[in-house]
Amino acid sequence: MDVQAGYGRAAPVLRGFSVAVPAGSVVCLVGPNGAGKSTVLKVASGLLPPRSGRIVVGGVDLTGAGPQRMLAAGVALVLQGHSVFREMTVEENVLLGAYTLKDKAKRAERAAFVKELFPVVAARWGTLAGLLSGGQQKQVEFARSLMIDPRVVLLDEPSMGLDPKATTTIFEQVARMRDAGTAVLLVEQNARRALETADLGCVLDLGRVHISGPAADLLADPQLGELYLGGRPGEVNKAS
Amino acid sequence: MPSGGLLLQSIILGLLLGGLYALLAAGLTLYFGIMRVVMIAHSAFLILAAYLAWWCNERLGVDPLLSLLVTVPLFFGAGVLLQRMLLSRLRAATLTMMSVLLTFAIALIIEGLLGYAFSGTQRRIQLGYGSASFGLFGARIAVVKLIAFGLAVVALGSLYLLMKRTSFGWALRATIQHPDAARLVGIDTERIAGFGFGLGLATAAVGGTALSLDTTIYPSLHWHWIGPLMAIIVVGGLGSVPGAAAAAMLLGLGQSLLQIPMGTTWAQTVFYVALFATLAFRPQGFFGGRLAQRF
Repeated sequence: MDVQAGYGRAAPVLRGFSVAVPAGSVVCLVGPNGAGKSTVLKVASGLLPPRSGRIVVGGVDLTGAGPQRMLAAGVALVLQGHSVFREMTVEENVLLGAYTLKDKAKRAERAAFVKELFPVVAARWGTLAGLLSGGQQKQVEFARSLMIDPRVVLLDEPSMGLDPKATTTIFEQVARMRDAGTAVLLVEQNARRALETADLGCVLDLGRVHISGPAADLLADPQLGELYLGGRPGEVNKAS
Repeated sequence: MPSGGLLLQSIILGLLLGGLYALLAAGLTLYFGIMRVVMIAHSAFLILAAYLAWWCNERLGVDPLLSLLVTVPLFFGAGVLLQRMLLSRLRAATLTMMSVLLTFAIALIIEGLLGYAFSGTQRRIQLGYGSASFGLFGARIAVVKLIAFGLAVVALGSLYLLMKRTSFGWALRATIQHPDAARLVGIDTERIAGFGFGLGLATAAVGGTALSLDTTIYPSLHWHWIGPLMAIIVVGGLGSVPGAAAAAMLLGLGQSLLQIPMGTTWAQTVFYVALFATLAFRPQGFFGGRLAQRF
């Protein structure tokens, strides 16, 4: 809430940014490049401490907590691009998601759960992760992040670099994660597809929330459509 | 044309040598894989371990293999300290280059200390079974070479099991392959890196002891080893332990066979020729497989 954050001594990237992610919903952050979308996720996962503002998870104030504590509090981040352990099998990748879980029974239970949620993961359980396609690797990363039964999963541009068919599958899987009860905060360049999957949308520009509301409303707004969802490139600058 | 017995002997010795090289190179691969550190001092630690084995035998009268009980945990601890106190302070941007300078300095310090403690006199362990050998289809195999090979196999096998079956091993592999993602699943990558380094030096302890069984040692011997070992890990694919093992076997065999026509000194060039060939034609290494590290 009301977060200000930045890198090193540079000017703040996020200036008074607030977002709430209710349980069992997908909140999507869209906005132009440099708006601060990735920064939001870095702050939310504990990788970047905010200069001011608060981070509250499940009623507990966790401002300034590092990634280890955020993980323990149930915040899982899936990085942009490829982040599987390429020379380890899908099984090893997914089970490593439960590295902090000491309870073996719980681990097995979660493993069975994610295998059901992501059939691709079950099908390629023994394969080296680096040999899978981009879309399949992303699903392995999703499965890995769900192993600790997180309250919130933070997804940083999950469709980046994927072909249209894989992109469709990825958004379907995001919806399935939401249906299974996890809250999802999704950051996407592919704004239209993301808003189609999301429940709530939030347009970020220059570190501040420009507009937020039900995703369907944002999609329907013609002005937004022009500015952020694929209008003529020259128009985008008008937003600042 | 060399006799069948001589050829067989060279092949067997080459394989035994390759096994030892594989162990010695595995540690180097770990350092580079974990932290992109080029550990020039690895061979110096090898010679240090060899000296400690010699000293145990000479002054305490124990079999050099028993020195492993002390040197392995000692070197493990030294590796952890080295990573935590020195290497972790290097800045990420110039890490690899600075690690060459830093570990070069460490190698010199070790060499100096060895010279100070034991003088430059060449040392050799005199073992009761030191000259024992047995015949195999016309080839003569020294027992100590077989023991050294056995040590290498046990050590590498243990390393493999550790990496594949233990939680620590998985965490180490994850840290090597994608440190950011490793951190995000809750792995303490700094601690793991320290232990990984300790593991690398522990293999140096085993390797050095194996070496001491039938090599004449002197303080500057490490320079003789670092070149071939570096060549092995480049040929095998930087960061790939199986790749290094494969390259080690091949080059060990090559060196042994080339000794017949070329003599010992020239046979060493097989490492450097292989190194140039790798850098010229396949810089990512020959044996790392599809997922080998790229330069």
